[in-house]
Amino acid sequence: MKSVFYLLDTAPYGSEKAFGALNAAAVSLNNMDVTLGLYGDGVYLAVTGQDSRKLEVPNLADILYSYGELRVLVHEPSLFERGLFGETFIETLELTDEEDFLEAMENSECVILL
Amino acid sequence: MKTLTIVLTDGPYISEYAEIAYKLAESALKQYKVNIFLYLDAVHIPKKGQDPSFFTNAGQLFSGLTEKGAEIRACARCAGARGYFPEEEIIEGSNCSDYFPGIRITSLYELSEMLSKSDKVISLSR
Repeated sequence: MKSVFYLLDTAPYGSEKAFGALNAAAVSLNNMDVTLGLYGDGVYLAVTGQDSRKLEVPNLADILYSYGELRVLVHEPSLFERGLFGETFIETLELTDEEDFLEAMENSECVILL
Repeated sequence: MKTLTIVLTDGPYISEYAEIAYKLAESALKQYKVNIFLYLDAVHIPKKGQDPSFFTNAGQLFSGLTEKGAEIRACARCAGARGYFPEEEIIEGSNCSDYFPGIRITSLYELSEMLSKSDKVISLSR
């Protein structure tokens, strides 16, 4: 496999999944083309201004921003459904419609759901 | 021989994924090299001393897969977060005394290695 698509559909901080997806995507950058797709509640990770200090967990938006070489797709319909389209997003991310999001999944040799 | 990698994130019994992965791996071993990577809560699967009264012991199943040639690895960070730690000595194919034989704790980079060397990947997660 030369490419992997990590699909995250859960919100950050409610579980370990978003942190796990970021870590898995980061280590895969060494030897594969990596895309992280934010879908469903996963799109909350794309919003700027996250403050996780009271939760005493790492700020996942900061971690995501630090991996500039990681391609991150944000599913636009999921943003609309959650009323997030007026928010400001982390600048390194790509907003994609349904068709482009699915095309990116299809073009990856494997999809890992987290 | 082609390589199949299965990625799991659920612990045992909370879903059927551990048992499904076992069945897929057992069947695939006839024609594939099989890797299984245990991520997040899946690092609980190989824990020794499970006594699931009404279910098949998932740890035993997975240990049996390693006897048939499967390579099963658990994420070190996820394992440490749940109280399982790697040791220097490898006994019965495992570097964790809390785990069933044949299953090792390793770096998350092993996931990337497994994926990059695979012909097929199956991800089972909720």
